[in-house]
Amino acid sequence: MIVERWESLWHSRGLVREFALRDLRVRYHQAALGVLWALLMPVLVVLTGLVLRLVVAQSSGAGDGVASLGGIVVRAVPWSFFAGALGFATSSLTANGVLISKVYFPREALPVATVAAQGVDLAVGLVMASVVLAFVGVTLSVQMLWAIPLLITLVLLTTGVSLIAACANLFFRDVRYLVQVFLTFGVFFTPVFYDATRLGATGARIVMLNPLSPILEGLRLSVADGHSLLQPLVVDGIAAWSPWMLVYPAVFAAGSLLVASVLYSRLELSFAEYL
Amino acid sequence: MPGSAEPKVRFERVWKRFRRGDMHDSLRDLIPSLMRRALRRSAPPATANRSFWALQDVSFHVGTGEALGIIGANGAGKSTALKLLTRVLGPTHGFCSVEGRVGALIEVSAGFHPDLTGRENVFLHGAVMGMSRSEIARKFDRIVDFSGVEEFLDTPVKRYSSGMNARLGFAIAAHLDPDVLIIDEVLSVGDANFQRKALTRVSELVKSGVPAVLVTHQLDQVTSLCTKALVLERGKVVAEGTPSESIAQYLSSAMDADAIDDMSVLVVKTIRRQQRQGVRPGDTLNLSIEVIVQDLRLGAVQQLIARVSSAITGSVVFEGALHEAGLEAPTMSSWYWADVGLTLHAPPGPYHVEFIAADRRSGSELARAGGVYVSLDGDGKFHGAPRGDMTARLTHAAQFGVANDFAPVTTPDA
Repeated sequence: MIVERWESLWHSRGLVREFALRDLRVRYHQAALGVLWALLMPVLVVLTGLVLRLVVAQSSGAGDGVASLGGIVVRAVPWSFFAGALGFATSSLTANGVLISKVYFPREALPVATVAAQGVDLAVGLVMASVVLAFVGVTLSVQMLWAIPLLITLVLLTTGVSLIAACANLFFRDVRYLVQVFLTFGVFFTPVFYDATRLGATGARIVMLNPLSPILEGLRLSVADGHSLLQPLVVDGIAAWSPWMLVYPAVFAAGSLLVASVLYSRLELSFAEYL
Repeated sequence: MPGSAEPKVRFERVWKRFRRGDMHDSLRDLIPSLMRRALRRSAPPATANRSFWALQDVSFHVGTGEALGIIGANGAGKSTALKLLTRVLGPTHGFCSVEGRVGALIEVSAGFHPDLTGRENVFLHGAVMGMSRSEIARKFDRIVDFSGVEEFLDTPVKRYSSGMNARLGFAIAAHLDPDVLIIDEVLSVGDANFQRKALTRVSELVKSGVPAVLVTHQLDQVTSLCTKALVLERGKVVAEGTPSESIAQYLSSAMDADAIDDMSVLVVKTIRRQQRQGVRPGDTLNLSIEVIVQDLRLGAVQQLIARVSSAITGSVVFEGALHEAGLEAPTMSSWYWADVGLTLHAPPGPYHVEFIAADRRSGSELARAGGVYVSLDGDGKFHGAPRGDMTARLTHAAQFGVANDFAPVTTPDA
């Protein structure tokens, strides 16, 4: 049953592409900013991070200087992708209610296409991030290849969570507001602006329970710091990384996709009744 | 399996229930109600009285070369049936399936995005209907040509007229090359010219053997496109058979609601058909009619005329006075029965047989005295002008004790 669902979604990949193109066209059609629009959110997140760092540095007297910029950029771009994709995807089913109540197609195509459209923004953001990294003097290292499995995990996790949120929002229309609140404050419970170890031993353990945290910290350690993710890392006596942290978010990603496919195959036929 | 007798569309004992009224559509409502239920341990409110059955035990099969028409009043469940076929909805009980690619001509422009151009929407909507990009690209010119909007291809569809929108949507759906065709009232989009083109396209597909299910209020489309039809009334199948049989049944049940004009001195109270099935051209349709003469003094100046007209076009194929066909109406009777035999040579289709009270001297029509729908079945091969013969014979006459006291009325030879 679950295999069939993913098969039918794979057969409708053309539809996913058309929906994603539609989203991109509508978003960029009249925007004079064009591709800069894709950078707006990550740039704002980076600036917020820098401001926060400045405040902390001013009050404690200990700053990381410009070197921390790379660490923030490398986490701000994926966070923006997650927040943007989840935010837009949550209302993707309800916004296309007319279509859903008239024509059959695999319903997953709509949230997946929204995530895919955000994926284009992610790609643009990553190009910008690599320019910034080169600018702040981060040297190329083979450890940067860890970004590939980490980003794949991120995309899968975002897709799974977005599918579930979109379905939930169809049945309970206030899920959308809940997700917005969650995303607004979630950035503080995810190591985007700060390193997890700054929270102390217990704090770090707790914040790393968030499945996004190992992805973001992994990106920072491998890409900005050139650390091999197969090696555990201890900073100031606090565990900053263990190889298990590669597995943890992947399990969440697989779990969310599994839950999503069960939800859609069970509930798809009642979507039209609740719209 | 081309050419197999296996039905492509199966609808077996399907029931569909809809809830009406309020549902919890926000967590804000759901959570307090769950907590209340958990605390008080009270039974959940019965939803049975807040739900209704849109379809009740509906079954049909459509195979290769067949086209099924579904007719019925608004709210009879026709669109629900189509949504179950297109998998937009699921049945509450029963089973339905469609084999192969479904071409759904339902709200043909539902997938359009107003800010995108016609060209972009062709690709978007084509993908929604299940076509690949290369397939759409291959058919693009034909689609655009069919729609007749080539000048506005690069204009956002929000600037299109509703007719242009519908034409473009229909053109995309019509080029899907479906295995099964499902059509809901879309053959009425655009102007007369486009409607003709759309109808031609659909009948080409149907003639080529693509199984089709058609929902429409335009009964002429049912007779011209369908090989069989069923009538839905409040979610139940009340008749099924040839298109003309079903249409005759549908129209007669719709007519029950009409009050028969009894201002005339002659009223046809009941009409009974002596054959159950439809008749073929050249067969004799036997009717028993019960006639009430409301005023004996005026009865003599009125006559009953039988008129047979097409239930679809309204054109009259036969008209004749009953007294000229041999009915010797007893002038001293207030109530009589007669057998009427009608032999019709006319194209197959649903017909309305009505009896009209007319002034005997001027021939002018005074009132409709009663009517019945019948279907004339045949192979569709009919040439020449329609004609008919009629015989009429008095079978029984009676008199009321008190004039104008009609009830109770029973037919003695029943």
